[in-house]
Amino acid sequence: MRRLHHLLRWAVFAVAAFVMNFPLLATLVTAFKSPAEVSRNAGLWVQMPTLENFATVLTVSDRLNVYAYLWNSLVAALIGAILPMVLCFPIAWAMVRRGYGRGVLFALIINLRALPLVVFAIPLYMMFRAVGLLDTQLGLGLILAVVNLPLALLLLVNAVADLPLELEEAAEMDGARLPGLLWRIVLPLCRPALMTVFIFGFITAWNEFLFGLMLTTRDAVPMTVGASFFFAASGGGVQWGVAAAVIVVAALPPLLLGLVMYRRVAGSMVAGAVKG
Amino acid sequence: MAARHRIENPVLAAPLVLFLLAVLGFPVVLSLIYGFSDTGFETLGAPVFNGLDNFRAVLGDASFWQAAWFSLRFGALTALAECGLGLFLAVYLAPLIRAHGWMVAVLIAPMIIAPAMMGLMYRLVLHEFAGPLPHYLYAWFGFSPAFLNAQNVFTTVFVIEALQWTPFAFLLFLTAYQAIPQDLREAAAVDGTRPWRMFWRIELPLMAPTLVIALFVRFIDGFRVFDNIFVLVGSGPGGTTRSMSIYIYEAFFRAGKIGQALAASILLFLAAFALLWLIGRLTRRAA
Repeated sequence: MRRLHHLLRWAVFAVAAFVMNFPLLATLVTAFKSPAEVSRNAGLWVQMPTLENFATVLTVSDRLNVYAYLWNSLVAALIGAILPMVLCFPIAWAMVRRGYGRGVLFALIINLRALPLVVFAIPLYMMFRAVGLLDTQLGLGLILAVVNLPLALLLLVNAVADLPLELEEAAEMDGARLPGLLWRIVLPLCRPALMTVFIFGFITAWNEFLFGLMLTTRDAVPMTVGASFFFAASGGGVQWGVAAAVIVVAALPPLLLGLVMYRRVAGSMVAGAVKG
Repeated sequence: MAARHRIENPVLAAPLVLFLLAVLGFPVVLSLIYGFSDTGFETLGAPVFNGLDNFRAVLGDASFWQAAWFSLRFGALTALAECGLGLFLAVYLAPLIRAHGWMVAVLIAPMIIAPAMMGLMYRLVLHEFAGPLPHYLYAWFGFSPAFLNAQNVFTTVFVIEALQWTPFAFLLFLTAYQAIPQDLREAAAVDGTRPWRMFWRIELPLMAPTLVIALFVRFIDGFRVFDNIFVLVGSGPGGTTRSMSIYIYEAFFRAGKIGQALAASILLFLAAFALLWLIGRLTRRAA
């Protein structure tokens, strides 16, 4: 009976893992099929694996440039991941140690998580157009930073609250001023939390689509939006092998980062939800 | 000491507050101006105040209500499905996961993929000729449904969303389940409590707060859905998959109705705000 249950558990795991990851598997397999094979064999195996789809994706054409998309995503996601840490670190400390901004500001930021961000998209579009941030990496990075603010603030507040007060008191006794105290004592101790904020923020920012679609047109198109260009049928319909390859390229960076760091990512998702 | 704090505290808050004012405060002002004016892309510089006309137009638009209904239904159904399935997986697989931690990584992989990429993947998976799913359905059953026609498309996007985000609910429940003290279970087992009864009487009540949170978070995310549906079918045949987010996007970029798009944004903001306020009150009363 026990043994049966054990086997059943493995079966449930296998089925759940297979069904939930099915699109990923199908895309991965298709990316290695030649055009001729795609039309002949739609199944989950490859008869003649080929890299030509990836070669096509990585070749710059007059319409599509995957390197530009990757570069735009990288720059915008770095801004979107790092800026919230810089903005939230000092106030997170003030919130924990002095209760400053604990009420309105904290609630405001945390509730951003629950707002449909599309409500900001159109006014932002108009503002960006007026100040020249439309279709720039900086403009996209700024709004990605907004998306990441709630979790960054929450994780940093939790991190500071877990620090022992004695270290800071000792430093103050030694005459450390506030900037030095924050920079030399508190910041190094918060490094694990900052790392988590960065990884999670980077993945979220890289995966964002709506703002990339609305706020960029040509120069700052991120990878998620650029990938959808490969699906715009040009005459002969979608080339499925190439389309699959571009998805693999687009999904790989966050997937690798997420799987290597899955404990951190899992932990921050739980923390973000439980407090938010 | 206090005098020093009076200067220091605002300085510490300044970066965040200034950033918020610039990136969100300014757009809010713009929304209010243009939401109450008659403007197109050509007359952006000279908005003409038209009172509540935009709001009247939005509230009189049948596709606005269709989108609101879609988002509500989609949010509620996906949240229920994800939490039910996630709870089952977490509780049933917990003994196995205790010995094999890597299983968590396999099961949460879908949510590390961009929803937009997930939507594009399903364009391949569901494709009549190139897609593996119709391929196997034809091979085994001689039949494959039209996944994206008006009749089936809601179910299709529902399943897609649920499969991608069940891992999120699973992860929350797994954490909550593992946090239940082992001696509580042992004490109950000594008293002769059967596993099924243990779940209903001891474990589930202890996980109730997590259940509420998971339902809430998944409802919000389902309600504002955009990426995966947009890349897969857009607003769908006859607007069957037009969510609120897609409605606002289309009003602005496809129809150029700036005032109406902003009026709809303001209404959505107010609705979300009201919901948050209500939940805040309820949780405070419960606590």
